Amino acid sequence: MKNPIKIAVVLLALAASIVLVACGSSGDETTTESATTAQTTGKEARSGYGKQKQAPAVTTTAIVVRDGEPVGGVRELEYSAGDEVEFSVRSDVADEIHLHGYDLSKDVAAGGSVSFSFPAEIEGIFEVELEQRGTQIAELRVNP
Amino acid sequence: MSWLPFAHALAARQDLPIPAWLFAWGASIVLIVSFFALSVGWREPRFEGDRWRPLGAAGWRALTGLPAQIFCGAIGVFLLGVAVYAGLRGTEAPDRNFALTFLFVTCWLGFPLFSVLLGDVFRPFNPWRAIGRLAGAGFAALAGQRPTHLRYPERLGRWPAAIGLVAFVWLEIVYGVSGGVSVGLAPQSAAVAALVYTAYTLTMMALFGTERWCRNGEVFSVYFGMFSQLGAFAVEDGRLGRRRPLAAAPRWASVPGSAAVVIASIATTSFDGASEGAFLGALEWTFERFVDAELGLTAALRLTDTIFIGLCIAGVALVYLIGVWGMSTVEGAPPLRKLWTGFAHTLIPIAFAYLLAHYFSLFVFQEQAQFTYLLSDPLGTGTTDLFGTASSGIDFQLLSADAIWYFQVGALVIGHVVALTLAHDRATAYWGDYRQAARSQYWMLAVMVAFTCFGLYLLSVANS
Repeated sequence: MKNPIKIAVVLLALAASIVLVACGSSGDETTTESATTAQTTGKEARSGYGKQKQAPAVTTTAIVVRDGEPVGGVRELEYSAGDEVEFSVRSDVADEIHLHGYDLSKDVAAGGSVSFSFPAEIEGIFEVELEQRGTQIAELRVNP
Repeated sequence: MSWLPFAHALAARQDLPIPAWLFAWGASIVLIVSFFALSVGWREPRFEGDRWRPLGAAGWRALTGLPAQIFCGAIGVFLLGVAVYAGLRGTEAPDRNFALTFLFVTCWLGFPLFSVLLGDVFRPFNPWRAIGRLAGAGFAALAGQRPTHLRYPERLGRWPAAIGLVAFVWLEIVYGVSGGVSVGLAPQSAAVAALVYTAYTLTMMALFGTERWCRNGEVFSVYFGMFSQLGAFAVEDGRLGRRRPLAAAPRWASVPGSAAVVIASIATTSFDGASEGAFLGALEWTFERFVDAELGLTAALRLTDTIFIGLCIAGVALVYLIGVWGMSTVEGAPPLRKLWTGFAHTLIPIAFAYLLAHYFSLFVFQEQAQFTYLLSDPLGTGTTDLFGTASSGIDFQLLSADAIWYFQVGALVIGHVVALTLAHDRATAYWGDYRQAARSQYWMLAVMVAFTCFGLYLLSVANS
């Protein structure tokens, strides 16, 4: 590095990256905050971001299907890897409830109800569908 | 309208968005690397002279001999036939039918990868080239003279391939979606499209000659061939040889329309990524306007997507144009048109990085299906089990979310570095004066940073 301009350029890059990383971590805090809010409101169960493992939270989400459509739109189920996923589907039409990726499926009779309970082993985003109609009723998210 | 189906037809699992902190780190590394590159630039072009050396051993020669060519061509034709047959006669379920995974994942995503690693591997397996050559040889044997062809208009260059590339992606991700139901392209449609494309390609080959059409108009030859320019292996004069990696790329874009091919590649991948997050709001808004205008759901969805693919192409072309225009203002610059063609190859690594970042997990997971149940039960009828693997499934635990994130960000950063390397090298060749060359590269640096950070941004908001 003999040229002072080059040194200035490298310093500028470092400054820019520090600003970026700082922005990134502040973004991270907001995510944690909203996660905590979700937990306290009991909307969806998810374990904290901290290192210590909490006991897997268990909250059953009930999805209601009317006229072959999910009431209130596609439900979002969010969990962390290792949690116990629990949800139930009550449907006024007979169909097969299929969770992609995990490849779990159960038949539901018209007016009947089925429930799912399994450990969140696979990370990613997965669809829950009324298989015969091809209608998505919920989305399962498993965060690492 | 949260039920809008933008999901890939095949993917039973979708990627989580990269976390904010990783996005920030990725973007920071990109900036540091870029500024560092400015200060260490070399002064003489290093990749311009393509010194290709044949691999000497006799074993290598057998790889490119006539028996091997016939063998590979026959495999290519056979597999195309299997895909078309499975598409026409097999199940309608996209994920259980051999055709879709084979055409859109194994070939469409696999050949770019293997082209970079091993050279232009599509060329020997290209089914249309094999049929064209066979027809040409048959004609010569019967008529006692080689077939005569029309002169290919040189000004057309690779434009037919660029247009075909957009048409292919349009078929895959625009035509495939249908309103309200999360079903992608039907296997039957894919098979019919393959037959139509076969008829079109063979006609063009008959008109202009097989090899000529493969160089300019045959979409897959041009597209996969583009990626093979980055790699170290190539066949020249019928012999397999080695060269310095990246050394072939600078010559690639001299044919008209090449810039359009690489721009189309980046733009279509961008659209696919952006429709999962960045553009979702805008897409839904536009879609609702069209539905209000009493268009059918499917038509409204296709029209919306078509408009946004067009916008993506225009956007990518505009960013590149700004970079090229900027370079043309630097003293001693060649004319704008020469710069536009002359730097097009520097976008190939970006296009490849975009592909890897967006489709890596889909490829890894779907290839498990390809080599297990799709191979044993290509029609998806549940009645055949050719290799005893019909009941195997995809192990989605093979890749953790973290592994996918690091791979995605790593691919974009490495693609960025390679792109900068090629651009700097080309600049030292175009500008005699080293200082002017370096000055021109501020502009290309801005272009590359824009593409790479946009790619990172797409990953950070996809499915969020």
